[in-house]
Amino acid sequence: MKNRALSAAVVLLLLLLSSLSAAVFAHHSFAMFDQSRKVSIKGVVTDVQWTNPHVWIEVDVPDADGENVRWAIEFTSRVHLTRRGFTRTTVNVGDEVTFVLSPYQDGRPGGRFWTVTLPTGEIIRDPGAQREYEQAQAAAQ
Amino acid sequence: MTHIRRYSFRVFSLSVLGMALLQGPPAWAQDGVVYPANGPEVSYAELDKLPDWRGIWQPTFGRVTGDQPRLKGRYREFYEAERAKVAADPSYEIPERGSNCLAPGMPAMMTMPYSLEFLFTPGKIVINQEAHMQVRRIFTDGRPFPEDPDPNFFGYSIGHWEGETLVVETIGTREGQRLGVLGITNGPNLKITERIYLDPNNPDLLHLDFSYEDPDVLEAPWHQNHTFRRDRTWDILEYICDENDRHPIGEDGQTRAVLNE
Repeated sequence: MKNRALSAAVVLLLLLLSSLSAAVFAHHSFAMFDQSRKVSIKGVVTDVQWTNPHVWIEVDVPDADGENVRWAIEFTSRVHLTRRGFTRTTVNVGDEVTFVLSPYQDGRPGGRFWTVTLPTGEIIRDPGAQREYEQAQAAAQ
Repeated sequence: MTHIRRYSFRVFSLSVLGMALLQGPPAWAQDGVVYPANGPEVSYAELDKLPDWRGIWQPTFGRVTGDQPRLKGRYREFYEAERAKVAADPSYEIPERGSNCLAPGMPAMMTMPYSLEFLFTPGKIVINQEAHMQVRRIFTDGRPFPEDPDPNFFGYSIGHWEGETLVVETIGTREGQRLGVLGITNGPNLKITERIYLDPNNPDLLHLDFSYEDPDVLEAPWHQNHTFRRDRTWDILEYICDENDRHPIGEDGQTRAVLNE
């Protein structure tokens, strides 16, 4: 009986978690990203794909031997970025930028956008990163 | 063999054309009836009696309530097995669709993290879902459900107003679409009932109460209640999924991004 009650509680929790997952996914699952990690890269923008279902920005980042490695950063859709004020000219080809991202689980050079520092020094954040930033600011005061 | 096929196709085509000429609209022209939503007599005045649902509506996921589904047989086994795989390996993706660009259809299209728009016309309500540019039609002109409809992504929806609440029944959705949460899919006999209404205390909140009846999947009706927030400053934006889909799904059911390495 106790096991059955525990099982029901587990199912309830899983359903709650999966409901939240359903809230986030519109195109693909985020399982491919390691969202427990954040990686920072600095390089030069080689391509801006202002598209649906995702916006992509590609960056050449020099490795330890000085060879450029092409990193691909996935954003949410053009729809969501537009409503946040992120435009097709916010980041441009040739810009030197620093990205922080959640890397792919399989170790390939790329991942999910978290923040970008523009050549002007301005930092643009994903909504999750913005919440984290504001919480840190509030805690510091 | 090819020759026989071509001949058969010509005979079939001529037969269909002949039947159409002799008997009026063929069977695939729906039922040939002019229902009030498309009829020659129209009054737009009836729209003035309806509540104001203009603007676009964003889901507020923190407000999802309801009860828990009581799953049957293989649907419960699948759900529990897939959830166990996710628990063991966070990079595991529960297989759901053959392509990430495939529109989810009903009922998932109503609760995606994008915008909904409601358009009222006499006898018919059109709902636009921004993601994947999905469209569904709800007929409010008193027509019956079609008999033995072909299953499709959005099913067939018949609605009526109870005061300022729109009550919609939907049947005929394709088997295997997401039902309520990832990992649960509908059977061939799903019936969805929706009650959609503005919050009595805040006209910028819209409630959508789902009831799912699926005798192949559920032991009892399952209820989910969603809430949406209105934005009058936005309009629906374009979302063509095939514009730049860099997320193919492999034969193992897992998505892997295409990189220009």
